[in-house]
Amino acid sequence: MSALGRIAGILSGMAGAAVLTLTAPAMAQSDLKGEITVWSWNVAATALKAVVPDFNKAYPNVKVTVEDLGNQPVYDRGLAGCSAGGINMPDVYSVENHESSVFWARFPDCFLDLKSLDPKEADLLAKFPQFKLTELTVGDKIYAMPWDSGPAVVFYRRDMFEAAGVDPAKIATWDDFIAAGKAVQAKAGPDVKFVSNNTDSISTTWFRILANQAGCAYFDEAGENVTVNQPGCVQALETVKKISDAGLFLNAGWDGSLQAIKANRLAASVYGAWYEGSIRGNAPELSGKWGVFQLPAFAAGGNRAANIGGSSLAIPSSSKNRQAALAFINFALGRPDSQITQLKASGLVPTLPEAIHDPYIQQPQPYWGGQKIWEVVLNTLSQIKPARGTQYFAEADSIADGILVAYMKGNGKSAKETLDEAAEQISAATGLPVAD
Amino acid sequence: MGTATRAGIQAPRTGGASASAQSDARGGWRRRRHALAPYWFLLPYFLVFAVFWCWPIIDSALLSLQNTRVNPWAWNLGINWRRLWVDRAFHAALGNTLIIMAIQVPVMLTLATALAVALNSPLLKLRPIYRFAFFAPVVVSDAAYSVVFRVLFNGQFGAVNHAFTALGLPTIDWLQDPNAMLSTVMVAMTWRWTGYNAIILLAGLQSIPRDLYEAAAIDGATPADRFFRITLPLLKPILVFCLVLSVIGTTQLFTEPWLITDRGGPGGGAETLGTYLYKQGFVSMNFGYAAAIAYTIAGMAAVLAALNLMLTRGKQA
Repeated sequence: MSALGRIAGILSGMAGAAVLTLTAPAMAQSDLKGEITVWSWNVAATALKAVVPDFNKAYPNVKVTVEDLGNQPVYDRGLAGCSAGGINMPDVYSVENHESSVFWARFPDCFLDLKSLDPKEADLLAKFPQFKLTELTVGDKIYAMPWDSGPAVVFYRRDMFEAAGVDPAKIATWDDFIAAGKAVQAKAGPDVKFVSNNTDSISTTWFRILANQAGCAYFDEAGENVTVNQPGCVQALETVKKISDAGLFLNAGWDGSLQAIKANRLAASVYGAWYEGSIRGNAPELSGKWGVFQLPAFAAGGNRAANIGGSSLAIPSSSKNRQAALAFINFALGRPDSQITQLKASGLVPTLPEAIHDPYIQQPQPYWGGQKIWEVVLNTLSQIKPARGTQYFAEADSIADGILVAYMKGNGKSAKETLDEAAEQISAATGLPVAD
Repeated sequence: MGTATRAGIQAPRTGGASASAQSDARGGWRRRRHALAPYWFLLPYFLVFAVFWCWPIIDSALLSLQNTRVNPWAWNLGINWRRLWVDRAFHAALGNTLIIMAIQVPVMLTLATALAVALNSPLLKLRPIYRFAFFAPVVVSDAAYSVVFRVLFNGQFGAVNHAFTALGLPTIDWLQDPNAMLSTVMVAMTWRWTGYNAIILLAGLQSIPRDLYEAAAIDGATPADRFFRITLPLLKPILVFCLVLSVIGTTQLFTEPWLITDRGGPGGGAETLGTYLYKQGFVSMNFGYAAAIAYTIAGMAAVLAALNLMLTRGKQA
């Protein structure tokens, strides 16, 4: 017993010391010491790694390790860590905005309120646009700092379009897009497909992009009603079906699509602007052959902006180097320079307004045939309709996935019937009512 | 668990028997001490059992009666169990699991029996090498072999579709088409487990006395007669053992659909009870519902195992 008592004494002493260190006032910048681990995925991890050298000039004694776990594993391991009471977590955690609510709602103590770490933090956070902060805020707590956003655009092969006589400037509607796709495929032969269906474990990416373009989502903006069977979503689903029925889809996930791009077997890609870094990094030999244009509208003159993805960085409560973690987040996301560094490295589109006005945005990009692609991308930013993922996002997405796959394969149901079924199932699963 | 309980019952009896020769007072104490000894040996196991089995079993039963999506969790006796009845995604996962059970398990056991008979043939040379070759897939970790199958069956660049094209057959989108996905998973499972079952069946074959076959041959029985009238009936208990193992394994199927078809595939084409349970528990953070699914799987496995055992009990060879 006495031995146990002694150990307990030592432990409580250590805990006390730890509390003392943690509550000590924030140290001066360069005095910060320690090691921090960052969890992130592919292009996003690459972007953060690009910021580290500059960060170490300002904070030479903080050692940053960016671990590229892959997108889904970061989410899975984060949820597992939080549900185990916050163990095995990194010091800085990457989370996609639309998936983030589940963390704040179910595990309110797993991550730190960034404002509680430094009195000046609130001012920095206030610089970010409100639509980015909504999903990261619960009450007066802000759990993460906005990182990038994902304006969706069409990436296309200039040479393949030209060979088929298709002028991307004339693709104004999704019907034009389908006609262009048929022409390009006819010219390029059976090995080439027009666009990837962007389907890894979930087939809903296309639907979610077009639904957001039409101003519709699984849930309404307050996250209180199921809205997946509203007219905007029906229009989105019908359009995706038309593209599929026209035989334009390559059935491939993240890796398969990049392989197809490298093998000259994909003529275009519809994704968030963050895909820019992946195309460029994956196929540097195709420099000059790729270009970008805005999403086609549902009808001529309609909205051509949509968002897919976009992430934030949070600090788990279990972090032993909170101040160093905060310093890294502030440095990487709160400064225009770092955001431009990440745009150059991976194509991550800044959300910090100061960064959007950086001269780099106006520069022509050699890989993209000298096109000023960031202007094309950022011009859509103001027309993006806000949406809320809610804590039920993963569940709703998984239900919609099953029902949509059956519809896309052709089960004889209409898009409206399909989405009515999805709405009913999502409502049954979440307990939220279907909106009128 | 079975062996442990049996040892626990038998041991005190023998202890008591040896102690009965002792004198009264001391003997009584010693008898008790002897009687307790096996329990002391079992104690470490029971402690582990209590912490890692009993507690989770009770706790998950309680979880299944709570709404775990509010903070803090609230009692709501029906919320999860009611959902099992209306949740079409769950029904689809259940359907996929039953399809695998109805197709893959019989095919695999037939192949395994054929393989075992072949391996048992006195005409076969280098037998140990073949035995090892067919058993080898079990030695490979399931994650590693799943990844290899995922690459082989890749729709655009996989070796399987290349072979199909070379043979002039149309290619199949193995990892995205709902029907093809399930077949891919079944092919992979068959590759991995056929040899394992064949080795178990081979052990059964070797316990069948040779003279039965000799006598039958003398009586003029054809090889087919010998197989259906001697081999199969005598092999039945082993076959049922393999069947029970495979059926229970299938109800818990997780690794193959998760890794080969990427988390059960788009649209849940290869969603099984195992992957659906995981998604509810650790992707949607719906512990209560996941617990209800877990109990359903356990109940199903118990009923199926009981059915299989009843099949044999009726006509014992």
